[in-house]
Amino acid sequence: MARVLKGLTTISICVLALTACAKTDEPGAAAQSPGQAPGPVRIGISLPLTGDFSEPGKGIQEGYQVWADRVNARGGLLGRKVELIFRDDASDPNRVSSDYESLITQDKVNLVFGPFSSRLVIPAAKVAESYGMLFVEPAGAAKEVFEQGFTRLFYAAPAIADDHYNYLADYLLKLPAGQRPRTAAYASLDDPFAQGTAYGLRDKLAAAGVRTVVDEVYPPETTDFAPIAAKIAAAKPDIVVGGTQFEDSVGLVRALQELKVQPRLAAFSTGPTLPEFPGAVQGAAEHVLSPVGWSATATFPGNQEMVKRHQEMFGGAANEDIANGYTVGQIVEAAVAAVKCVDPTPACQGKLADHVRQGTFDTVVGPLSFDDQGRPEQAHMIQQYVNGKIEIVLPGNAKTADLVYPKREW
Amino acid sequence: MVSLLLQGLALGVLTGGLYALLAAGLSLYFGVMRVVMVAHPAFLFLAAYLTYTVHTTLGLDPFLALPLTVPLFFALGVAVQRLLVARLAPENLAMMSVLLTFGIALTIEGLLGTFYTGSYKSVSMEYATRSLTIAGVHLPYDKIIAFGVAAATLGALFAVLVKSRFGQALRATIQHREAARLVGVQTERVAGYGFGVGLATAAVGGTVLALITPFFPASHWVWIGKLMAVIVVGGLGSVLGAALAAVLLGVVEGLVLVTVDATWATIMFYVFLFLTLLARPQGFFGGRLAHRF
Repeated sequence: MARVLKGLTTISICVLALTACAKTDEPGAAAQSPGQAPGPVRIGISLPLTGDFSEPGKGIQEGYQVWADRVNARGGLLGRKVELIFRDDASDPNRVSSDYESLITQDKVNLVFGPFSSRLVIPAAKVAESYGMLFVEPAGAAKEVFEQGFTRLFYAAPAIADDHYNYLADYLLKLPAGQRPRTAAYASLDDPFAQGTAYGLRDKLAAAGVRTVVDEVYPPETTDFAPIAAKIAAAKPDIVVGGTQFEDSVGLVRALQELKVQPRLAAFSTGPTLPEFPGAVQGAAEHVLSPVGWSATATFPGNQEMVKRHQEMFGGAANEDIANGYTVGQIVEAAVAAVKCVDPTPACQGKLADHVRQGTFDTVVGPLSFDDQGRPEQAHMIQQYVNGKIEIVLPGNAKTADLVYPKREW
Repeated sequence: MVSLLLQGLALGVLTGGLYALLAAGLSLYFGVMRVVMVAHPAFLFLAAYLTYTVHTTLGLDPFLALPLTVPLFFALGVAVQRLLVARLAPENLAMMSVLLTFGIALTIEGLLGTFYTGSYKSVSMEYATRSLTIAGVHLPYDKIIAFGVAAATLGALFAVLVKSRFGQALRATIQHREAARLVGVQTERVAGYGFGVGLATAAVGGTVLALITPFFPASHWVWIGKLMAVIVVGGLGSVLGAALAAVLLGVVEGLVLVTVDATWATIMFYVFLFLTLLARPQGFFGGRLAHRF
């Protein structure tokens, strides 16, 4: 056993060394001018580049790289080049802690950026907090993240789960009395994030008098959605809202069609924002609504530049994960420029955190501000399939098309 | 309320038929070999992915993938049995087969992830979202098709088991391996073919699954618990018992879903599993071990 452990340690040290070397060899990062005294601004990041979260983890990494590339093209942070140091935590909460520990104590990085998903954000933020480091993170929306007493954590996205549908709630409640929905059915996956989205809307509509006629929660093992749809069919609701991920959003849409449920509005979280959705539900995607944290067509400051730069660097279409990584960079960049320090000392990091807490930041996902626990205070945009294309329909200042209500029959 | 119950009942029967098809192979492996085949759902989704490929690249109806996948899966089954399962030590076969097939499931999942990436795939036909309405009860076409395919497949499986010489040899092997060998049945070969037949049902089941649900490489994990519950309630090793238990559990699930909620509906599988183990460990429809198939 001892030998195995020793072997594993050796291997992981070698792997760490290799990844560190690989990253410092990157063009741009190594291009610092030799005479400059303070050297580059080193930013330590651990991401799930392998394992469960590898897809979104790589997206966030690309977002960070696009941001660093742009900052360096403009002369860096406070005139110093930015150098990103990546570690792969393999989606493992134990690895993520030791990664940040060594980034802060061994590599003596100037700043840290967060990893992906609430499960990894919490252990990582604990380490950052213990060294007094500012911790802006791209993906930790679960409410537990903000209940740990962190003082230097900020979630760089428009809203926590409960606020995703806020614009839609406002829209529905402002409709003239005759058009306003009177009854609503909710079906949600048993998951804090998915439920949060549906319940945020449910509570706002219920408080304004929209009657909840179905309120179903289903476990992740659910494979058959027809009986849930049968319940919804029997209640004949004006609107149907799903707190969903992907399979269940498709399952619900298909089952609702099969049971001939024709609501005036259908909204599902997450599923409809994925490119696989329209194909999976055939023609039924038309007029389906979904909250979305970022849009490729939005004209928020830097958004089009990011999309273009990402296309040049990585060749694919940008997505929400990339935008979230980029947003982290934008917020930290603005704070550093305002406070004029990037030292890893608690004093400087404290000043940065204070600045982030009180400010409002222009980012690719819109203007962001934070409450005392680091929760963003904005809402998600609302997208809708209109004539087969994804359009942003809410809020008014970001919209690319008008919201269609009531929806076409599916 | 009555119409909602009727709707739940109808959907339950149709879904139960699907469960019967998906669980048939599992029952067969256990009957023939005393093998607990954890990888069966992984093979179902392997078949779903192959169906997807045939459907998207050749533009064929998903069911036209069957002439390709059924023989392929039969051969795969024979190979898995002869090359892997047959080499496990007989004294702890049940335990080791769980580990072995768990490894196979992980391998399939990894390969699917490598070739098809982690993103969702789906085969959606235009009939997949329509339904037949009889007396106010909606019967979705995709579920009717699934039920029909399940009935046809299980009917064919039964005919093979009861009528053909291979079926007789297989049943003899299930009932008493040594005695079967004494009367000249080549039990090794028969066991291999039995495994092949089990996996061939997975090819059919995978095509049906592809029609009714989107999938990604790790989709198989949610099925193993349900299908295991079905074959234990039905009586391990009994294909007929598994089919009856599948319909029973499908109906219970459907009725609980429309009257209580989805969480309880999922729990019912495990409630029935525990009740069976407490009250009648040999299963409710299994009968004596010697007569199972």
